[in-house]
Amino acid sequence: MDHLDQALRTPLTLVNGAAGAGKTLLAADWAAGLRQSVAWLTVEVGDRRPSVFWAYVLQSLRACGAQAPGAVGFPADATRVDRKLLSALAAALNDRDEPVVVVLDEYDRVSAPEIAEQLEFVLHHAGRGLRLVLVTRTEPLLPLHRYRAAGELTEIRAAELAFTPEEAVALLGLHGLSLPVHAAGALVDRTRGWAAGLRLCALAAQESADPELYLKEFEADRSTVADFLLAEVLKRQTDETQDLLLRVSVLERFCPDLANQLTHRTDAEALLVGLHRENAFVEHLGHQWYRLHPLFGEILRAHLRVRLPGLEPELHLRAARWLRRHGSLPETLDHGAAAGDWAFTAGALVDDLAIGQLFTGLRSDDLAQLFSRMGPEATGLATDLVRAARDLSQGDLDRGLAHLHHAEEQLADYAPGPAHDQAPGPAAARLSCALLEALAARLTGSPVRAEKAAEAADELRQEVPAHLLEKHPELTALLLTHLGSTRLWAGRFDDARAALSAAAGTPGGASSVLPREESMGHLALIDYLNGWLGRAERKALAAVSEAERLGLPQPSGSAIGRLVLAAVAVDRDELGRAQALLDETAGLPSGTHDPVTAAGRAITTARLLLVRGRTRAAVEAVDPAVSAAVTSPWAASHEALVASAAHLAEGRPERAAEVLQGVCDHQPGCAVEAARIQLAAGRPAAANDLLDSIPTDGRTGPAVTVRAALVRAQAADGAGDTDTARKLVAQALLDARRERLRRPFLDARTWLRPLLATAPLHELAAGWLTPGESRRGESRGGESRGGESSRPEAQPSPLVAAELSGRERDVLERLARMMSTEEIAADLYVSVNTVKTHLKSVYRKLAVNRRSDAVRRARDLRLL
Amino acid sequence: MRYEIRVDGHLSDTLAKAFPELGHVVISGQTILFGPVVDEAHLYGLLERCQSLGLRVVEMRQLPE
Repeated sequence: MDHLDQALRTPLTLVNGAAGAGKTLLAADWAAGLRQSVAWLTVEVGDRRPSVFWAYVLQSLRACGAQAPGAVGFPADATRVDRKLLSALAAALNDRDEPVVVVLDEYDRVSAPEIAEQLEFVLHHAGRGLRLVLVTRTEPLLPLHRYRAAGELTEIRAAELAFTPEEAVALLGLHGLSLPVHAAGALVDRTRGWAAGLRLCALAAQESADPELYLKEFEADRSTVADFLLAEVLKRQTDETQDLLLRVSVLERFCPDLANQLTHRTDAEALLVGLHRENAFVEHLGHQWYRLHPLFGEILRAHLRVRLPGLEPELHLRAARWLRRHGSLPETLDHGAAAGDWAFTAGALVDDLAIGQLFTGLRSDDLAQLFSRMGPEATGLATDLVRAARDLSQGDLDRGLAHLHHAEEQLADYAPGPAHDQAPGPAAARLSCALLEALAARLTGSPVRAEKAAEAADELRQEVPAHLLEKHPELTALLLTHLGSTRLWAGRFDDARAALSAAAGTPGGASSVLPREESMGHLALIDYLNGWLGRAERKALAAVSEAERLGLPQPSGSAIGRLVLAAVAVDRDELGRAQALLDETAGLPSGTHDPVTAAGRAITTARLLLVRGRTRAAVEAVDPAVSAAVTSPWAASHEALVASAAHLAEGRPERAAEVLQGVCDHQPGCAVEAARIQLAAGRPAAANDLLDSIPTDGRTGPAVTVRAALVRAQAADGAGDTDTARKLVAQALLDARRERLRRPFLDARTWLRPLLATAPLHELAAGWLTPGESRRGESRGGESRGGESSRPEAQPSPLVAAELSGRERDVLERLARMMSTEEIAADLYVSVNTVKTHLKSVYRKLAVNRRSDAVRRARDLRLL
Repeated sequence: MRYEIRVDGHLSDTLAKAFPELGHVVISGQTILFGPVVDEAHLYGLLERCQSLGLRVVEMRQLPE
């Protein structure tokens, strides 16, 4: 205990010993006597995923009041944890005056190497704000030698945990056995001071006729200690107790009622209280819940298999049934899966309306893994629903649709028969089915199907218990996102916006982050297609940062937000940035089957290629290569536009005009592009008709109106009406400046250049489209050479997705004073690594890659 | 790969059943578990099982084929 007090002076403490050595007890006893706040976390078997682990760590920090709620986000994705979340946690800890003690019990259950790495990162950056105590059976994967060398490690290992003969005498004394120290010495030798062994020894001796003789016999015996002692102690229990202990060994934790389910008796409560009083086998977790001592649990399971062979699956199933009635879904699923009863397990998931968790939220990966063990032999409605959800989420459209079809056939035949606890209730199953239908509709681009699914869902929502809907906001959010996406595909922007806005406004944290991000990305796409670059950019950034705030790895699963940002960048002539954003989305699994995302990527890629003069590649890239039930007016129109533009660029104006037949004139953005091509193909009348067809109801944004004005200006210019042309260009410049919309002017370079050189227009274009006043002469020289290089250097747009933190501002200020990283570290009393972390987030927030750029951007944004 | 794992003490038959994939013999105060080991993961799994059963591993070695 005294040694453990040193833990307050070192960042890392290790309590390392075999099972039953008394590690937890020691640490708990110590922690109870501390004045500081202690966050205690017992690692559970299921915490394999880093995000789940960190979610629990943050929760326990909050529970002990060490950290302001909401200061640090929450991990939302099951597979990875963003560095940013960890940095934020470390920074929050670093800012504390008094260290917080974090005890991680049973740390040996952490098997993912990245958790150790992340722990080390947080420990390193939390400075004096964190005192980490690891209670573990195995050596953690931390660079212990480094901590040891720096005197930053307190170690309590097996030797110190072992009982001395004197302590053994005291322990036996507590059990009413008196033993001379030298006899206890032999006992300690035999058990090597192992606490659990000594306690079992005392229990066994207590029950025997001649304790002292018994202990002597034990010393002489040569069996393995735990095996022998446990069998001994178990043997001395009543048959009922033995049976109870064997049966509950399949459970992580249990309460009397649950134990009764497994024994089919009613005596569990009394037995458990008795066992706990004797300090044998069970530990009390509070609120009627117990668990077996981990060591005994394992040995008891071995006994169970021998004594009651074949009973294990049955026990798991009974436990699963009980847990399902008592509302603990994750445990129900675990035991249902352990029992191998997939109809039951899938039914539990569907009945709980939790099928959406296969797509989004912290547990999605765990669930997918759990159900991956389900073999083809399992049958039933719920299993087919789960299979359909699994295949659809993995992009296996054909198999997913087949399973969904199969499930629907069963639903049609479903007759409300006698209460059968394995068949899911019809309402919950139908609602789950509607969700999958909506997804299938989205992936197959079928608006009719989506509307039908949404209508069915609306009715079914009345039939399922309200508390289940509340518990699973992700279900409705996913459904609305799929519906909105399908409507968007069909070109019904207003209807799509209604569904997507509702999905984007879904409350809830991690569970519904994916649909929220996706629906915001879709809303951004609608704004982009209507020509509102600034709005589109804001929404897309909101989508991306929504995912980031919740610790989703970047880039996250949904590509749509980034694609919109890339498209906006093309319109602003920030080609490098557009390419980078497109590249980021290339590795994402989503969008290979999703028509909207695929079309968004195809259009953006093709436009970028067109700008770069690679017309052939653009024509190839613009085909989204997805099969959809209906053609999408905007996707098809853009496809035709790219083809037409390619023909024009390659000197075939007739062919270009022909291809334009495919352009839908209800799409203002497309109509205006078509008008430009018609004009360039020498058909001003057709261009004018197209422009007149664009409704002027305020729905279309600058990207459309500016282009329309330019086409009219070009027509006027061509007709010799320079005054009108100049007026139109002036208006276009005014509208475009706010949005930094450069692309239309660059496309119009050939006829626009003389106009822009005249006085009023030159002023309007200076600074954002053409170089500013001071560099006029020099830039003119460049223009006359006519090369690409003369084009105004496109400034990437300022993207301050998140405010700079106080610390980041400190670092930035020092950066502006030309201080080196090391100097900043010394000045701020933090480590070089911490400064680097801050620098990285400053770069990210300012969207720059270099210090000089960061300072310049910060000055531009008046952050300095 | 074949391995043998030597643990301290006589292992009861019940507990030996916790290693169904291995054979075992008891000799002079020790138990030798032996048999095929599929891969590294299996090997470490066996060590972990020993630990969770409170067995003290004295020796562990790969057997010549």
